[in-house]
Amino acid sequence: ILDDPDLKDIDPTVLKHCHAAAATCILEAGKQKADISAISTCLEDCKLDKERIEQFCTEYQKNKDALEVLLGSIGRSPLHITDVSWRLEYQIKNNQLHKTYQPSYLVTLNVENSDSGSHPDVSFSCTMEQLQDLVGKLKDAAKSLERATQM
Amino acid sequence: AVGELGRLALEQLRRGAAPRACEAAARKLNIGVDTVQHGVEGLTYLLTESSKLMISEIDFQDSIHVLGFSDELNKSLLQLYLDNRKEIRSILGELAPRLPSYHSLEWRLDVQLASRSLRQQIKPAVTMKLHLNQNEDQTAQVLQTDPATLLHLIQQLEQALGEMKTNHCRRIVRNMK
Repeated sequence: ILDDPDLKDIDPTVLKHCHAAAATCILEAGKQKADISAISTCLEDCKLDKERIEQFCTEYQKNKDALEVLLGSIGRSPLHITDVSWRLEYQIKNNQLHKTYQPSYLVTLNVENSDSGSHPDVSFSCTMEQLQDLVGKLKDAAKSLERATQM
Repeated sequence: AVGELGRLALEQLRRGAAPRACEAAARKLNIGVDTVQHGVEGLTYLLTESSKLMISEIDFQDSIHVLGFSDELNKSLLQLYLDNRKEIRSILGELAPRLPSYHSLEWRLDVQLASRSLRQQIKPAVTMKLHLNQNEDQTAQVLQTDPATLLHLIQQLEQALGEMKTNHCRRIVRNMK
C-alpha cells in the first residue's frame, strides 16, 4: 500500500495504522464467523458512515470463504498424510541367504508437516498379510467415519 | 564327538561363541581346547554355507566326501545338516538389511470444533498411531489424515494388494522357485 499512487498523499504512519486496523477487524470477524449485521453494528459504533460500511461488508462477503479456509489451516496438528506410494518386490537372494523367494511390499506415506513444510516421509516394509491388516484397519476407520456423518 | 561338536556349533549360531562350553567339551573328549574350537568353527561354516545355498542332499554328500571322513561320519554330518537347516536359514534371514517393518495400526476419529484462529469449525480427521519394528526396537508414530485422503489411501493400497494376484506376478512367482 505504501507504493500505491492513490495513497501517496497520506502520511505513511497513518496508512500503516489504517491497514493494521482493517486487517485486525477482518481477522477478528473471520475468527468469530461474524455475520454481516454484526459487522455493520460494530462499524456503526466506530462512527463509520453508511456508504463505507456497505463497501466494507461487500468486500468482506466476497472473500469470507477464502478467509475461513486460511484461518482454519493455521494451527498445529500431527504430521499429516497427503499421499501414499507403494512398491511390490520379490526377493530372490541376499548376501546372507540365497533362494529366499519372498514377496514384500514397500509402502511410503508422504507426510506434510504444517510447521516447517518439511517432508519427513514414513517408509516401511510389510508382507501381504500385514498389508491386508493395514488396509482392513483403514477401512474400519472409513466405515466409522461414514456412520458418524449419518448421525 | 561329532554330536558334541555339532551341538556346540548350533549353540554358537544361535547365541554366539561360548568358550567355556568348548573347554568343557575338550575335557570330556580328552582333546585340546584349540582343536575343539577349530572343529566347532569348521562345522559352523559348513552348516551356514550349506543352509545359505540350500544345497540338496546329494550336493552336500559330494562336498564332504572330499574331506575323506568315514561313511558313518558323513551320515551324521548329513543328518545334522538336514535337521537344522531350516532353523539356520531363519537365523541367517534376520541378518539381511531391513527397513522398518509394519507391526500394527491404531486409529481414532476426531472432529476439530475450534482453534485459536477460527471458531465454530467442524473438521473431521482420522488420527493414527503406526507401530513399526526396526531391528528389535518398536517405534510408534502419530499421524493424521483427512477423510478424502483416507479413502484415497485405501484405494491405492487395495490396488497394491491386487497386484499379487495378477497373471504377471503369478507367472514370476511360479517360475522362480
